Amino acid sequence: MGNSEDLSEGLTVRLFASLREQAGWSERIWPIPCDSSSTPADLWSSLGLGQGPMPSSIRIAVNQHFAAANQPLHRGDEVAFMPPISGG
Amino acid sequence: MTGAIAKPGAWIQVVLETESLRPLIALERWQQHLALQYGTLPAAECTFVGRVRGTNAHGKALEHLELEHYPGMTKAHLEQLAISSAESHAVRAVVVHHRVGLIAPGEAIVLVAVAADRRGPAQRCCQELLEALKHNAPFWKREWCGGVGTWIEGNTPW
Repeated sequence: MGNSEDLSEGLTVRLFASLREQAGWSERIWPIPCDSSSTPADLWSSLGLGQGPMPSSIRIAVNQHFAAANQPLHRGDEVAFMPPISGG
Repeated sequence: MTGAIAKPGAWIQVVLETESLRPLIALERWQQHLALQYGTLPAAECTFVGRVRGTNAHGKALEHLELEHYPGMTKAHLEQLAISSAESHAVRAVVVHHRVGLIAPGEAIVLVAVAADRRGPAQRCCQELLEALKHNAPFWKREWCGGVGTWIEGNTPW
């Protein structure tokens, strides 16, 4: 899945911190059909980011806003999977 | 990475610092801006400065703390949190400076300051915003000890 693909044809998926290092990549384009009813939870499984369902500790952002695991995704969306936050 | 949001109720400024954070200098500049904005500085200010600890949770000497963030989202989300806290407590101004990148023990990692007409709202807003950013702003810490980096999940006790 290369970055040369048309962004409008897919999702931009971003990983951060420990998730990025476990997966070995930080960003990729993932195809999504026009009539897709995909959600971040579906995407997590499709990407093989972990065994079984997505852990509840994982935070999700869609287009740089926190989102639920069952939020419908659309072409062109930026989806981020984030490990537990530790700021301040 | 700086910017200010002027709102009818509060003046909000959030800065992500990539090189260094010098809290007293940042505070003095913020007070100068406030004086220009309001003419007279508000009567109450509450300030919190967080610094990198010298050891990790297991007592090992810390070489550096690394702070990763989500470019774009982190600053926007900090601004949302600051606006929400400022509105909840009806304060006059909020400033947040947060470091990203590699930070040495003893160096400042975060500055939160709130100006209000009374000490109660200033203190409550500062505390609420600090806890909100620790748990809800997209930052991730990695502790470096003996050349080995370990990602930290969650926060230290309050």
